Amino acid sequence: MKRILTVFLLVHCSIAFAQNKPNTGALKIIVHTVFGKEQLQLQNREYANAHGDSLYIDEFRFYLSNLKFSTTGVSFWEPDSYHLVDAADKDSRTIYIKNIPAGNYTTLDLMLGVDSMANVSGANEGDLDPVKAMYWAWNTGYIMAKLQGHSKVCKTLHHAFEFHIGGYLPPYNAVRNVRLPLQQVTIAAGKENILEINADAAAWFNDPEMIDLSKTNEVNMPGKDAMMIADNYADMLSVETGGQDKQK
Amino acid sequence: MKIKRVIYFFVFVFGGFLLIASLGFCPLPGDDVNFVVPPGWPQPNYDLSKNKLTEAGFKLGRRLFFDPVLSRDSSTSCASCHTQFSGFTHVDHSLSHGINGLKGTRNSLTLFNLAWGTSFMWDGGVNNLEVQPLNPITNPVEMDNTLESIVKKLNSSALYKPLFYAAFGDSTVTGQHVLKALAQFTVMLESFNSKYDKYVRHEAGGEMSKEELKGLKIFRKHCASCHTEPLFTNNAFENNGLPVDTELNDYGRIRITHDPNDSLKFKVPSLRNIANSYPYMHDGRFGSLGQVLEHYTQGIVSSPTLARQLRKKIRLSDGDKTDLIAFLKTLSDKQFLFDMRFRNYAY
Repeated sequence: MKRILTVFLLVHCSIAFAQNKPNTGALKIIVHTVFGKEQLQLQNREYANAHGDSLYIDEFRFYLSNLKFSTTGVSFWEPDSYHLVDAADKDSRTIYIKNIPAGNYTTLDLMLGVDSMANVSGANEGDLDPVKAMYWAWNTGYIMAKLQGHSKVCKTLHHAFEFHIGGYLPPYNAVRNVRLPLQQVTIAAGKENILEINADAAAWFNDPEMIDLSKTNEVNMPGKDAMMIADNYADMLSVETGGQDKQK
Repeated sequence: MKIKRVIYFFVFVFGGFLLIASLGFCPLPGDDVNFVVPPGWPQPNYDLSKNKLTEAGFKLGRRLFFDPVLSRDSSTSCASCHTQFSGFTHVDHSLSHGINGLKGTRNSLTLFNLAWGTSFMWDGGVNNLEVQPLNPITNPVEMDNTLESIVKKLNSSALYKPLFYAAFGDSTVTGQHVLKALAQFTVMLESFNSKYDKYVRHEAGGEMSKEELKGLKIFRKHCASCHTEPLFTNNAFENNGLPVDTELNDYGRIRITHDPNDSLKFKVPSLRNIANSYPYMHDGRFGSLGQVLEHYTQGIVSSPTLARQLRKKIRLSDGDKTDLIAFLKTLSDKQFLFDMRFRNYAY
């Protein structure tokens, strides 16, 4: 009996050891949704875009995917890396990544949007489940980013503007590759490290193309307009802090 | 004496239990879930390895297909516009109608041999069988619903939760599992046992008449370059010379691709079960095969995107037309149209 118990304990320990990859750490990415320099408040806070139109934001959601951390000679790809970030859902704004090899990372590469593979592979799960309402039925594909709101300059029903940006087929592939330089994010074994990223909804309205909401207020299919807005928001992400391990 | 009675009682009860239990293991006619690639057919396009067919998954998909719970007001099911005896289309309706009797702008397509489809819908806007149901579910004139609200409804259903557990090992209903289950049912809708198929396979029941054989020859000369055997479609999009309906103003595939070369192009539909799936064309404008042949011989409207094959006039005598229609009728697959597995058992 004792022997059986010993064997069981040994097996158990070795399994536990295998699961706890020794030279890896975890990273918590906190995404702050902002408008300019302010924390974004949905619905009841008035903002002004670069064109000078006053507006309210009602919905702000986007995919971050294919996250890759790099430092000289070393890269770590997050497996199954698809994250839907929703300004209205606090949980969605925190991304946990486990088993990152310990090291000092200097670059984070990611996609704003969803790669073409996920766009052609039918009904996906998790954040890619079509139940998340980030999916076009009649013209298959993910809505890669959504910004909705209202502004009195919009001569539309309820003064609404609606930007549903997507499309995975050339020449209208709306995925934008983003590279964020990190101030040396140190992943240390057994620690949870924190990286804070800002996502700025104001970036949608200018640079390179100034958006006049009285003229451009509805984009909801792949095409030139979607490409223009995706070019605008391609620089909406920036690193807030990094480098110091904030242990929780 | 008393003990004997007790023994009899137990034998009776236990025996009865065994009998019922054994019945449970007997396959019912609806239970054969076996996807077939018929001899001589290409490999299917749908990746079955990512949605493994199981009896539980197939039955769940079938139940969902026939359940009006998918529509906003629980009035309309998939089967409302896709009935088995017509090859799973909306027979006798030129434009299909859905919730509140609202009419759509297109004629519902047939549903069979979908594993070989490379795109779905008349304009090919859908790239994978699994996500096709999102169209009728969300279309305001079909089911006018959302996947979110369906998942919510099913998650509060004592009936469905165990069925999802049996099919996917998870009683929490997800959008993915609703769509995978529906695909397990629709991918099983295979039609390959018509008289024509038996003729090609040299099987009993495949004896063609002289007219039917003449019709096959005419078919192969004038129709088969688009309606290619064995699927009777080349899965391409073509402009078949229909004049534009000025009320519907439907220009087909250009809506998806924004490419002027795709103006007036629609998916080439399969001609299997064609005699059962009237009316014809994307807007159901023709009620009979005779009218269809009339169009291809007399009614072609020329335009820049007209199919290359239709630029030269097709000439058919009345006798040719009769023979061609006789052949087209050999594409009806009674085994499929009356297959018990595809019936509605639940309601």
